[in-house]
Amino acid sequence: MAEKIEVSGFRHFFQTEGGPVQATGTIDLSIRAGEFVTLVGPSGCGKTTLLKAIAGFITPSEGSIVCDGKPVKGPGRDRGVVFQELAILPWRTVRRNIAHGLEIARVPRVQRDATVTRLVGLMGLVGFEDRYPHELSGGMRQRVAVARTWAADPEIILMDEPFAAVDAMTRLTLQEELGRLCVATRKTVFFITHSVEEAVFLADRVLVMTKRPGTIKAVLDVPRREAGGRDWDSFTSDPVMQKIAGEVMHLVHAERV
Amino acid sequence: MKLLAPLRVLMPFAVLVAIWWGIKSGAQVPDKLLVAPPAVWASFVYLVTHGILAEYASASLRMIGLAAMISFVIGVPLGFAVGTNRYAARALEGTLRFLQGISGIAWLPLAILWFGFSNTTTLTIVIYTLIVPIVFNTMTGVRAIPENYVLALQSLGAGRLRIVRDVYLPGALPSIVVGMRLGMGYGWRALIASEMLVRQGGLGDLIFSARTFSQIDRIMVGMVVIGTLYIIVDRLLVQPIETMTIARWGILRR
Repeated sequence: MAEKIEVSGFRHFFQTEGGPVQATGTIDLSIRAGEFVTLVGPSGCGKTTLLKAIAGFITPSEGSIVCDGKPVKGPGRDRGVVFQELAILPWRTVRRNIAHGLEIARVPRVQRDATVTRLVGLMGLVGFEDRYPHELSGGMRQRVAVARTWAADPEIILMDEPFAAVDAMTRLTLQEELGRLCVATRKTVFFITHSVEEAVFLADRVLVMTKRPGTIKAVLDVPRREAGGRDWDSFTSDPVMQKIAGEVMHLVHAERV
Repeated sequence: MKLLAPLRVLMPFAVLVAIWWGIKSGAQVPDKLLVAPPAVWASFVYLVTHGILAEYASASLRMIGLAAMISFVIGVPLGFAVGTNRYAARALEGTLRFLQGISGIAWLPLAILWFGFSNTTTLTIVIYTLIVPIVFNTMTGVRAIPENYVLALQSLGAGRLRIVRDVYLPGALPSIVVGMRLGMGYGWRALIASEMLVRQGGLGDLIFSARTFSQIDRIMVGMVVIGTLYIIVDRLLVQPIETMTIARWGILRR
């Protein structure tokens, strides 16, 4: 199967006034087209650094990152990013935020509107199209951020703890919605989290990182469920899922900082 | 209640006039030190009907308008250039604060030596006074924009120009407006001071010339007009823009 993201010999240092600080250990990883890979690890282990390097926001100190056979040289519209917070623009309405990527790509108005309407429906934002972000709840804002990324239709989507800042109830709904969205669109997703349950619930494959400087210490395959079958009720009652979650929990637990 | 609003604003002014009048007639202050409100009113009517006030006031307004335009055109791009460059911002922050400490008026002696007692001197002083808060606030506004806005847009395929137009400009606008508003306040004061020394027209010239002939009524008319024009410019022009951007985008309530 085609490798969509190929990270080899990646290592990163941050330059500080006290000299270089090692952010990650050596990381090798490859993600196949259409795969949903989650990366779980303790805070400060360097998982965000890895994501930023794949996104092209930082240049790795060592190693190479190749997406779709092309080395990553900077950010690009083939790799969409969903941040934890503060990413949608407060001076644009929901509609204009979601359409932003299409606007930049000079997609004609009619087509743009059709895409926005479709995503507004998928993400449960109907009726909020002309609101400004400050009029929305935190969960709603993250829905807009997700919709904006999907609207631009990148092949790869990088998500950096996108639901960490929303309340627990909303988070469950957003996770289910994301699951449905992925089944409907078959994107290659790289998703960072520190929540074990979230990692197992969403993934085709879970990567577990060690504490800083982080390396990948374990890879666990999550058996593919039926299309649309990613909901919390069946997840919690599925012994296979619970067993994997237990294993991941055990692995993460050993890395407590 | 709506009808009472202007009354609430004007009430303190009425009290002020009452105190002034009270002191004048109560303490029997001679006319060469203080005149009563009716005398000031009469002087105001005289200056208006003879077109004198219009001439001096319009000179001041033209000057502040011109200075504001030039300061905006130079100051905003300068603020952007500095704000988007982390090193430049750090290096220039101290300098800007230092310059903020040297008021425009303190530049007057030097400006007069350079440009003489001319409108160029006044214009230079007012632009200097206006431009520092504009550059400073634009810079601060640009730097306060969350990095994620920029990163997210780059990942949507945006180029540099697009990011300036869609992120930096709207993101810094409320701050630019604040800078403009502060600048107009400082600039107006510097303008009056400069006009008093340069003596080439304007309200500062009007009140300083009136001092030569001890025309207290005229001085007081000038002062009231200076304050009133400032309020008009600030409340009717600058403040509505500020409220509009902040309320609509919820910048303060993010």
